[in-house]
Amino acid sequence: MADKKRVKTRRYFDYLLLFIVLFLLGFGLVMIYSTSFYAASTQYDGDGLYFFRKQAIAVVLGLAVMFVVSFIPVDVYRRLTVIIYIVSFVSVLLVLSSLAHSSHGATRWIYIFGFSIQPAEIAKIGAIITTATIIFGLKKKERLSAKGFFMILLPGAVLAGLVLFLTKNLSSAIIIGGIVYAMYTLCEKKNLTPYIILLAGIILAAVAVLLIVKFPDKFSFGYRAERILAWINPEAYADGKGFQPIQSLYGIGSGGIWGKGLGKSVQKLYFLPEAHNDMIFSIICEELGLFGGLAIIIMFILLLWRIRDISAHITDVYENLLLTGIFAQIAIQVLLNIAVVTNTVPNTGISLPFISYGGSSVIILLAEMGIVMRISRDCDFREEIRRPTPTPEPEREEEEELTPAERARAARAARARRAKEKTR
Amino acid sequence: MDRDEDKIKKAQAARRANARDIATRLGVFFIVVLLAFVGLSFRLFAITRDNKNEYRQKILSQKSYDSKTINAKRGDILDANGNVLAASQERYNIILDARQIRTLDDESGDRKVRTATLSALRSVFNVDYDALNKYIDDNPGSAYYEVVKGITYEDLSRFLPYITEPSATEKDSLYDPNVKGVWYQKYYVRYYPQKTLACDVIGFSKSEGQASYGLEEQYNDILTGTSGREYGFFNDETTYEVTTIPAVDGNTLVTTIDTNVQMIVEKHLKNFCEEYKDNYRKGLGANNVGCIVMRADSGEILAMASYPNFDLNDNMNISHLYTDEEIAAMKEEGTLKDAYDKLWKNFCITDTYEPGSVMKPFTVAMGLESGKLNGSEVYYCGGFLQVADHKIYCHGRKPEGNLTVKEAVAKSCNVALMQMADTIGKETFLEYQSIFNFGLKTNIDLAGESRTDGLVFNDKTMNVTELATASFGQGFNVTMIQMAAGYAALVNGGYYYEPHVVSKILSPSGSVVKNIEPRLVKQIVSSSTSEKIIEYCNSVVTDGTGWRAKPAGYSIGGKTGTAETVPRDNGEYVVSFMCHAPADHPEIICYVVVDRPNVREQDDAKYSSIISRQILTEILPYLNIPMTEEVSDKEREELLALELSIYTNRVEQEDAEADASANNPEGEQ
Repeated sequence: MADKKRVKTRRYFDYLLLFIVLFLLGFGLVMIYSTSFYAASTQYDGDGLYFFRKQAIAVVLGLAVMFVVSFIPVDVYRRLTVIIYIVSFVSVLLVLSSLAHSSHGATRWIYIFGFSIQPAEIAKIGAIITTATIIFGLKKKERLSAKGFFMILLPGAVLAGLVLFLTKNLSSAIIIGGIVYAMYTLCEKKNLTPYIILLAGIILAAVAVLLIVKFPDKFSFGYRAERILAWINPEAYADGKGFQPIQSLYGIGSGGIWGKGLGKSVQKLYFLPEAHNDMIFSIICEELGLFGGLAIIIMFILLLWRIRDISAHITDVYENLLLTGIFAQIAIQVLLNIAVVTNTVPNTGISLPFISYGGSSVIILLAEMGIVMRISRDCDFREEIRRPTPTPEPEREEEEELTPAERARAARAARARRAKEKTR
Repeated sequence: MDRDEDKIKKAQAARRANARDIATRLGVFFIVVLLAFVGLSFRLFAITRDNKNEYRQKILSQKSYDSKTINAKRGDILDANGNVLAASQERYNIILDARQIRTLDDESGDRKVRTATLSALRSVFNVDYDALNKYIDDNPGSAYYEVVKGITYEDLSRFLPYITEPSATEKDSLYDPNVKGVWYQKYYVRYYPQKTLACDVIGFSKSEGQASYGLEEQYNDILTGTSGREYGFFNDETTYEVTTIPAVDGNTLVTTIDTNVQMIVEKHLKNFCEEYKDNYRKGLGANNVGCIVMRADSGEILAMASYPNFDLNDNMNISHLYTDEEIAAMKEEGTLKDAYDKLWKNFCITDTYEPGSVMKPFTVAMGLESGKLNGSEVYYCGGFLQVADHKIYCHGRKPEGNLTVKEAVAKSCNVALMQMADTIGKETFLEYQSIFNFGLKTNIDLAGESRTDGLVFNDKTMNVTELATASFGQGFNVTMIQMAAGYAALVNGGYYYEPHVVSKILSPSGSVVKNIEPRLVKQIVSSSTSEKIIEYCNSVVTDGTGWRAKPAGYSIGGKTGTAETVPRDNGEYVVSFMCHAPADHPEIICYVVVDRPNVREQDDAKYSSIISRQILTEILPYLNIPMTEEVSDKEREELLALELSIYTNRVEQEDAEADASANNPEGEQ
């Protein structure tokens, strides 16, 4: 082992990632101040800073959480998986309890110690950790088998189902489902099942949309069907379900290339309800124009690139699975959010990570960033990691013989060696 | 152990490989996500590119419904006696909210609201019921449709009972709870009750906050109020709340203009132009006629007018000056804009011209004030004077013989004045030119005063010839207001006041925001020089060229002016008459300029002196200036015809008798 000199003896830390996160948070606070000032001052007796203040507190808390989490080894989560899963499960169930808090006709919040928490956000990180642990515990053959399919997808699916039926929160359910699906798809190669599922899902969705559009009266899909109709022809539903999408488009379109200037949005005054929330991207485009919108998109691309780049230097499967889950969550949320405000997909409430108003969301996301930063410390920049020796195939078969206990032991031994080298 | 070690090593390599595989697949996923971002970015771009203007308009049309501007009332402009020269009147638009009507009807399941509302609109405003009905059918989302535009409050008040809930005691109310989705929007239109009166001085405002020319432009900030705003928003998903920031109305201007003096002046300018219309050439009696009447000892403008004029309420209408064909031709040539500008601008402060002999009192004042002349000089006039290699002729080219300074002014002798200028010298002349404010703005509070600093002589442009011609007012340009302000100072003891039109600014509630006192700028000549100038100018009217200007019952002083225009020798002249009244203690300055009178021989100041006389005859009695001179029978008849009383104790009695004798015959009949 001695000949294998480390490229870096000092632990790596991803400052670029930290910078991107801080930029997005700062930008988000500015935009929340801009978008919510009018709404807040009318709703809270002239207290225009109401939303801004709450969000700022959440951001500070979240940064503290991120700092702490960035020192917690990820093995801790693996060992605590059962507890984490139960916590997320129960927190969703709590919306049935007296702690629940309703708003906008749905019960999505619980109050604990004076804090309003959205359990769906906890469920997202719960699903990532749980799924990663399960995949890590399965052997290659098991992962490819039908049993593995169910084992991997079930815990996430249960969480998603709970979120959907208890909190009527389709968007969060979609995100949880998407995270689990992405982790399942990416954990093993030459696995056709997820692609078949994707194809089937697309066909099903297309058929459903067609049915809704062709026979709008015969199928009662409730408000969701109306949202789909409003998606296809927002102008016709401009007073109802099409109101938000069309107003969002007005906001983007009227901004032009350079926007109307920070704080000068007209739409936020009334026409985009809760502009500081899911529709904040539309106001960004209205005030800062196409330029501002693209700048945000580029920042998110950079963030995702950092996560993926870290994963390329990670030798631990579990860490990589966590990265995959976090990557999937951010990618799905950003893509869906922008797709909704541009009316590319039917309207559903998905917040823009780090930027939209929402304390639980930003704290959980920052905790996830803490995990990513912790993992980035394990980055191994040795050449063969990037350009591997062409011999692993036969050894792979051997690997299958190892039991999880053996693998854990091996991992511990590796860490012990690494620690020894470090102290040297 | 070896086996175990080996196995663990292999397993580690395999795990690393597996982890790397996940990273590779994550890389593929990253590329997929990247492509999705590119797609969305293009979608963003497409939305912006294709719909920018359409969406901007949509947003604005929504805005007009949910956040309304409350228009501020523009301040009035009053004359010195409180008569309204410009005012803002309320007007109303009736707005139909089709969206609300449809929503209300959908809720109740019938068409009660629509029927009731449209019927009410039809009965009051006589609108087309079916057309509106169709509009509501076709535009379910429209919240802003102007059904009736620009009605007065009187008309609106016939509709108000339908939408105003009656008090408990009121009976026979027209109130119908089903009349909904109609509201009205108040705005203001500018209205000039005196139409053409003082049009150049007032200027016009066509839309809120926008004003052109005159007081409207000069005092736009003070006249314009601050618009208020009404924000509507849904504080919850159901209740609509309105926050109102009220409008602050603009301030009112009180001017020094006296409507009666202004009317008298305008009447005579118009009469002149009509009398000489198509006289020698086609067109009005002169290219332009202007007149300023101001108070000698404060710079307050009592009247300022020019002709042709225009109706401030209908400022685009030039049909009284041009035929339709001419307008069409100008439109073709692109000169229509110039024609409008020529009409709208204020001749008295914007047009520059060579003052001619009206300059002579100024030249003499320079000589007296600088000590180069003492008033006792005698000059010989042989009809012309050889200056450098030019022969400069006297007016009329006939030799006048020996002349005192006083006679030189009275007879308006160029030769004598050129000799005086020679004595005065170039340096002193230029020094006094700036002391008398030639080449500088008077800073009268009206928009559009011309700069003349490039139109007067300076050290480089003035040579012997220029000095000679400048002595009788040729070769440099002035504005009427410069001449009037300067002359006022010459005859009031030497005090140069900044001419001004506004005397007071009032708040919308009528309290005084600011009093504008006469502003004394400087003393330009001593009082002894001033007295001499008065004496010389009085002789112009008693013994000289200005004899035609003497009004009945008053003695006045003044100076005629005849200035050849550029290019020279084409027989075109600007004739003018500057005068003060009464002769000994000037109170009023009246300055009339006729730009190219429509006659064959233009070089005769009689045109301007006659207009001056007509104006003074009427305004001096009106301004309560006592008569000092005897009134001849002919003049008495003239005054009677004008229905003016005669203001001297001595003649008042005779006047009463005359009245009696004039009335008695009628009584006997």
